[in-house]
Order: sequence, then structure tokens, then C-alpha cells
Amino acid sequence: MDTKTYYITREKLRELKKEYEELLGFEHNKSLIQDMPKVFESEDLNPEFVSFQEDIGFLRSRIDELKNIIDNHKLITAPAKNAQNIVGLGSKVKIDVDGQKDEFVIVGTLEANPALGKISNESPVGKALLGHKVGDEVVVSSHMNTTYKIRNIKYEVN
Amino acid sequence: MDKIIKFFMDIGKLKRMPRRGWVIREIKNPESIADHTFRATLMAWVLAGKKDKKINMEKLLKMALIHDVCEIYAGDTTPYDSILPKDPKKRRELLKTWPRFTEKQKKRLADRKYKKEKAGLEKLTKNLPTALKNEMMSLWLDYEKGDSPEGKFFKHADRMEGFLQAAEYWKDDKKVSQKPYWVQAEEMHDDPVLLKFMEQISKEFLKGK
Repeated sequence: MDTKTYYITREKLRELKKEYEELLGFEHNKSLIQDMPKVFESEDLNPEFVSFQEDIGFLRSRIDELKNIIDNHKLITAPAKNAQNIVGLGSKVKIDVDGQKDEFVIVGTLEANPALGKISNESPVGKALLGHKVGDEVVVSSHMNTTYKIRNIKYEVN
Repeated sequence: MDKIIKFFMDIGKLKRMPRRGWVIREIKNPESIADHTFRATLMAWVLAGKKDKKINMEKLLKMALIHDVCEIYAGDTTPYDSILPKDPKKRRELLKTWPRFTEKQKKRLADRKYKKEKAGLEKLTKNLPTALKNEMMSLWLDYEKGDSPEGKFFKHADRMEGFLQAAEYWKDDKKVSQKPYWVQAEEMHDDPVLLKFMEQISKEFLKGK
């Protein structure tokens, strides 16, 4: 299991903890003897048993993953007042993209949803905007060279 | 008619439904939704194999197969639909850019699409056995939410298939603008495997340009 740091909001952390608790309970119930297929004779050969073990395996893998996120999370919080003029995680950024207006919230990968304007800090655009101030023109250097001009930065995280 | 046969006949309609993104770009004989699903599923399978993290392949591939079936009843939509000019010249101009919306508009558009597609999936699967119907809905919701590792990965792999298709159409006809696909991709993708793949596509298609 990797030891990457997961940047998440308080709300997301609550949601993940809830899922973790629920899956632990579900795993416990599933492993009770009455849930186990009764027809197998050999663990090596019976497909129903193999499938049951796989279900348990994937459930366990999600539980391990959630635990890893919970253990390695860092809450997204607003920076000190004197740093709130810089794009960081949790900031809402108003921009001009090649002359068109838009606004993004910079979030961690687990909460990214570009259709709703939530841009991952690990995406090329998220990465490029981090650390910039109002007035900066950030060119995301790809084959297309898109320019993002920062118009406003605001922190609305708790 | 047998309910399962009716379901497969409905699914068959996807083979004849052109993807709207290419229709509005005036692509001749554009790919169908089924064409897209076929390659997106293969891409998900192959590219997920390059990831360090464990992925439930059965879940991922079932999700890939199911992700657009709601469009049989909901229809295919694009982010341009609500702002698409009737005038062909203006439309072509608009399609050179990635559309921008306010926060409120983004929420409204996403909500409208979600409700329409969910209703489409419910209609399509309503006569299937309960377990199968529930599995399909649960996989689709997971894809929509992009919350599980499989849901998140496939949501991105799905877009990457469109990115590759756009590059292929562009290779044949330079009037198909690449810009909106690049802008969308650079705001969306954060999976290292898919970012690397995107770079490989660009090297393949844009070399010497």
C-alpha cells in the first residue's frame, strides 16, 4: 500500500469514515458462517467458494484502501490571511481561459469533478495554477498552450 | 416478447446511434455509441493493468459496458447542447473552444443530465431480474460518482477514448479542432497512467506538426 498523502475536505473525510465503518460491518456479516456457500467440498475446486472468496477479497481491498486514505489524509484548510492571495488547495479561483471566464475550486484527487468546476491539484491545470497570484497569467504548456489568467482567489473551506 | 431478448434488442440500438459530439462537428459516418463503448472497455482493461493499485477488473469492465446504455432512452448529450448556435459558421467557431459556464449553470447541467440518464437506465432495465437491474444501476451510479477506484478510473478512461477518437478524426480532417479536447483533458486527468497515455497519443499524432 502506498503512503501518498490524500488532501481532503472535512466533509469528504466524514463520508469516507462512514463508508469504512459500514464496510467493516458488512465484511463481518459476510464472513459469518451462514453466508458461506454450503455446497463446496473442496476449497480449491468449487467455483462458488472461489467467487465468495473473491468478493471478500475485493471488499477487504476497499476497506484497506479507505483505511490507507484515512490514515494518510491531510485536511484542506484555509491558509493564514496573508497567504490567501495565493492559489492553494481549497481556493476558489476566478479565471480567464483564453479570454473566456470560468471558476475552479482546487481540490485533492478524491474530490475532483471538473464538470462541477472541481479541479484536481494533480491535474496539469491544477498543478500549474498552484502558487500563483491574482493577475498572473499561467500558460499550461502542452501542444495547445492554453493561458489561464487569474482574476480572483477566495478561500471558502472551513 | 421475452424480457431478456427485448433488453438485447434495445442494446442493439446503440450500434446505430451516432455519438452527438461528432454529429455536431459534421463528421461523416461518425462512430456509434456502441463503437465508443467497445474501445473504451478495451482501453480500461489494458490501461488498468498498468496501474500500481489493485483494480477489480470484473467491476471495471462491467461498468465500462454499462456506462452509456442509458442513452438509448436518454439520448447522447454534449456540453455544447444548451449554447449551440443554429448558424453553422457560429457553431463551428464555438466548437473550437471548450464551453465555459458559471458554477450555477454547471450544477444545473450536471443535475439535468444525471436525472435524464438515470431515468433512461431505469426504463431500459425495468423488466430485468432484480439482481441484474440493481447491479447495473449500482455500477452506473459508481461510474457517475467516480468514487471507487474503478469508477474514478473508468470515468477518466472513457474521456481518454474520446480524446483518442478526436485525434484520429483530426488526422483525417484538420478542421476538427483539437483544442477543446486538450483543454478538457488537462483540467480533468490526474491519473499518472492516463496522463502518460495522453502524452503518448500527442507524440503519435502531433509529431512534426
